Amino acid sequence: MNRRQALGLLPLFALLPCLARADAPVRMRDLYNKDLGFSNLALANEGQRIAVSGFMAPPLKAESVFFVLTKKPMAVCPFCEPGTPWPDDLLAIYAKRVIEVAPFNVPIVVEGVLELGDYVDPEFGFYSKVRITDASYSRV
Amino acid sequence: MLKSFLSGVAFVALATPALAQELPQASSPWFTAAQETIAARLANQPITGRAKNVILFTADGNGVGTNYAIRLFSGQQAGGLGDEYVQPQETFPNVALVKTYSSNGQTPDSAPTAMAMNTGIKGKNGMINIQDTVAEKDCVAGLDAGVKTFAEIVSEMGKSVGVISTARITHATPAAVYARTASRDWEDNTGIPEGCAQKDIADQLIEQMKAGVIDLALGGGRAHFLPETVTDVEGKAGKRTDGRDLTEEAKAMGAQVVFADTDFAALTKGDNAPVLGLFEASHMKYEADRTGEPSLAEMTAAAIETLSANEEGFYLSIEAGRVDHANHDGNAYRVLTDGKAFADAIAKAVEMTNAEDTLIIVTADHEHAISFNGYCGRGSNILGLCMKEDGAGTAHSGEPNLAADGKPYTVIGYLNGAGSVLVEQADKTYAGSRPDLTEEQATDIDYLQQALIPMSSETHSGEDVAVYARGPWAHLFGGTIEQNVIFHVMRHAVTAE
Repeated sequence: MNRRQALGLLPLFALLPCLARADAPVRMRDLYNKDLGFSNLALANEGQRIAVSGFMAPPLKAESVFFVLTKKPMAVCPFCEPGTPWPDDLLAIYAKRVIEVAPFNVPIVVEGVLELGDYVDPEFGFYSKVRITDASYSRV
Repeated sequence: MLKSFLSGVAFVALATPALAQELPQASSPWFTAAQETIAARLANQPITGRAKNVILFTADGNGVGTNYAIRLFSGQQAGGLGDEYVQPQETFPNVALVKTYSSNGQTPDSAPTAMAMNTGIKGKNGMINIQDTVAEKDCVAGLDAGVKTFAEIVSEMGKSVGVISTARITHATPAAVYARTASRDWEDNTGIPEGCAQKDIADQLIEQMKAGVIDLALGGGRAHFLPETVTDVEGKAGKRTDGRDLTEEAKAMGAQVVFADTDFAALTKGDNAPVLGLFEASHMKYEADRTGEPSLAEMTAAAIETLSANEEGFYLSIEAGRVDHANHDGNAYRVLTDGKAFADAIAKAVEMTNAEDTLIIVTADHEHAISFNGYCGRGSNILGLCMKEDGAGTAHSGEPNLAADGKPYTVIGYLNGAGSVLVEQADKTYAGSRPDLTEEQATDIDYLQQALIPMSSETHSGEDVAVYARGPWAHLFGGTIEQNVIFHVMRHAVTAE
């Protein structure tokens, strides 16, 4: 999808009541199996628009369209994680607009297109297995 | 005079067990169970032979409160109300309360607490096995202020030494078994300041293996042993910038090196070759999320089997490292599931050893800002809502207690942390109110119990922890002791004539 197509779709989505779809948002753990392989639900929804609940990790950069969704608030333990490794079961989010940062411990729901497969962000070098693109989010 | 004489007779009579049967409560199961406890206490005899083996179990962050929660969780998982459940260490005959503060911290971190248990003296927060005359991260001063560890002492006696953690094996608690460092964060060479001659913690582990002090090390932290140019078996890059691959150096000295549950299961045990198991790039997974890695109980069994080949005996330090991390997250579910895995490892050690020659100590390094609400009826899910008591029965009524705001609340809460009900507002101030809550939400495995003070990570607390012990000289534990006394009991046990 190019930018023009994306912008063309925006009014359509703007008309939809945000996240008021029949299905409740999926949880992040519903997208992964325990061995971090893709779940059947993830495979069935690849390329589809889905809504996922989680928490916004503190963004790597201000004024960005990129952030990481985590299943629990990304608590930063001073004695646990020098260098703060990311959890394995995260979700990379590419929003269609520069994001307004949400506090790390406020539940949100992200809605966008589910992409599966390895990807390294060219700007941040951030590796992800699962992404939501063309995304928007709202507080629960 | 007659009156006082008769009173004396009555006092003596009540003190005899035979007449206790005449009490109206004597047939109560509470009464008979308590009498059995007294009989067991009377029969208990100190074991005063020299300890061949010492096993030190530490669940990081498992203070008296966290241990209480694990007990209820385990009991409820077993189908009971929870309170009545007895964890393996709670059957041990000797118990003490332990003061965990460090040289400079009313609230300690895991570095000085592990130092206290492994060297017999307290140290400063952030430093491991360096005397407290040195400032944290003072590399030069630290080089001349190191202390001797229990592992080194018993190694000189001919014993084998093993160290296990579900955290990184370079993390504070396991590192105190084998390393001396002016900063607990110097886990690989990238943390060492320019010009500092101290070796990083991962390097020191391999050095101690080469020196014959450490015979077995199992845990996480693979990235600290690999160069940044090397990716591990799970595709994650190492952290070292000195080009050294410490896993290859370990193999070169004849060590068995394993990275997953499959090669772990194929280890040759008892052949006297060092064993290095690194099962994750960073910490091992929480028990609730574990896949492809051995459990703490499995690692415990393998270690005892391996180290028991030494007829001189062994010292084995076993840490459940992630009870602490889940508490920092404010996620009670993973605290309790890792706590149950800790108890399973203790049960395995009890099963595989003999109290006549093996001193088993179970403790924690510190407690957390975890707390418990009331008044909950029995059987209230320790992860869920605090339910009202049932005046006509035993189990709770099924109706949640409500706070003054009209909302239910969980049994467990935290004084601070990411679960704070106060959240950052657009103007950067903090405000909020308690969200409404259902039992289903509260018992979700990813739920964070409500907290008060907003912090990115829940904190340790300085309150006491317990120490439980069985085996030779376990009876030296009693009363309220300083944490460094634990070392002195271990040392006495292995040297007693």
